[in-house]
Amino acid sequence: MSLITIVTMLIVAGIVWGGLLFFLRKAFKYEKIKQKNGEE
Amino acid sequence: MGRGFSLKQEEFFSSRWALIIATLGIAVGTGNIWRFSRVVAQNGGGSFLIPWVIFLLIWSVPLIIAEFAIGKSTRMGPVGALAKTAGNRFGWMGAWIVFVSTAIMFYYSVVTGWCIRYFISAASGNLFNTNEHLTYWNEFSSGYEPLLFHFIAIFFAALVILRGVTKGIEKTTKLMMPSLLIILLILFVRAVTLPNAIDGIKYFFTPDIDVILDYKVWLNALTQNAWDTGAGWGLILAYAIYMKKKEDISLNAALIGFGNNSVSLLAGITIFSTVFALSSADLSAGQAGVMQQISQSGPANTGLTFIYLPLLFTKLSESNFINTLFASGFFLALFFAAFTSLISMVELATRTMIDFGYGRQRAIVLIALLGFILGIPSALDLRFLVNQDWVWGVGLILSGAFISFSIIKYGVDKFRTEVINGYGSDVKIGKWYNFAIGILVPIQVIVLISWWLVSSIGWDTEWWNPFHAENFGTVIFQWTIVLSIFIMVNKFLVKTALNNNKVEGV
Repeated sequence: MSLITIVTMLIVAGIVWGGLLFFLRKAFKYEKIKQKNGEE
Repeated sequence: MGRGFSLKQEEFFSSRWALIIATLGIAVGTGNIWRFSRVVAQNGGGSFLIPWVIFLLIWSVPLIIAEFAIGKSTRMGPVGALAKTAGNRFGWMGAWIVFVSTAIMFYYSVVTGWCIRYFISAASGNLFNTNEHLTYWNEFSSGYEPLLFHFIAIFFAALVILRGVTKGIEKTTKLMMPSLLIILLILFVRAVTLPNAIDGIKYFFTPDIDVILDYKVWLNALTQNAWDTGAGWGLILAYAIYMKKKEDISLNAALIGFGNNSVSLLAGITIFSTVFALSSADLSAGQAGVMQQISQSGPANTGLTFIYLPLLFTKLSESNFINTLFASGFFLALFFAAFTSLISMVELATRTMIDFGYGRQRAIVLIALLGFILGIPSALDLRFLVNQDWVWGVGLILSGAFISFSIIKYGVDKFRTEVINGYGSDVKIGKWYNFAIGILVPIQVIVLISWWLVSSIGWDTEWWNPFHAENFGTVIFQWTIVLSIFIMVNKFLVKTALNNNKVEGV
């Protein structure tokens, strides 16, 4: 596999899947805070 | 927004996760699985992926944020919502948004029906009784069977909506979306472990500098984001009506955009690996031959999914049982993706009828009946389906423009600070959003609509003829009729929608 393929794979998968995981973690964090504060 | 109005709100999504799963159900549709792979193949593999990621950030996410914010703050379907956001003179824009998504619903129910039929064929083993998959498809699509499966699809979609938001939409998407992801993951693991699968992955991720500089690749990447994330369709706006006040907007919107494209990536790698692994032995033309198989459109763009993949599934292993299992899993996943999007289209139309004073039950029966009757031409004639897909597919881009326009009219900065960053927001979004929704989205709309319409002049010598399936004339003809009617009856539309959402004493 060439270097350019690996770099593209890392950029694309990194942004898309990495982004999803990043936002999921944030959502879990804020949801926990909201539950602690008893927000409805 | 919101002063003088209150909710006729009886139901909410029970949690943030229920809202996210349901909204992801809107975004993830057949476009992620079959259109994405075909478009990647047609646009040079890895060269397409880079602009595709960029447009996720500057088209999909800003519009999904806008839809969540408008739906949550107005608690109305698009007609009333856009009248409240942009002003009473612009309620017709909301009517356009509803009309376009409903017109798509008519034929999308037919497509959902195809998925049910192919799932049944695969699970029963019937799909493997032939080697002539094009003939198999032609026999199916030219008969009356698509009509039966179209009826089944719209009937069950209406049944889900009839059960309401929590018992219907929420329960269905909570079952179907995780199942879809599990099936896709299993198919993904199998696909990438096939011999020669690496060739498919290599092609999928290798960019070609010459291709990446081609403006058409960029426009196709933008089109893919516009058509497969559900951004600007009005469907997310309809679900946002049922989100709790404490729910966040921008973080949820980012999750939908990135979640949708993650599924596309998963499906793309799976399909490229499978096709390269299983067809390399047969095709003397090598990579070019494989690419031709992935990128060929076939009748109504069904080539890869309904004709070529069934053939490949027969070569997956020596065991008929395993082949049947994987093929039926694939078509079941495709059905889940289609069905969870279809129910959101039925909900959008239903919600609009409710805004016009109809009871929920009466509205659903009417929409289902209308959906079935107006879907019949697409079920019986693929040319009609292709025409509707072309006319209203481009129409969706105009829907995105109307959403962006309504925010510009309201005041982009005011909208960002008061509505998006208002009560319940976990993450405050910065001024970049003003630029994205106020400048970038309108520019993308103008470029994209102009490109599609100008290109369509070259497809047909009688490009002006409104009765041809795919040309300039048919788009302008159908758009003009619909827009003229809505602009003429704008006053009535806005008055009725706003009056029916007023609650005494508020």
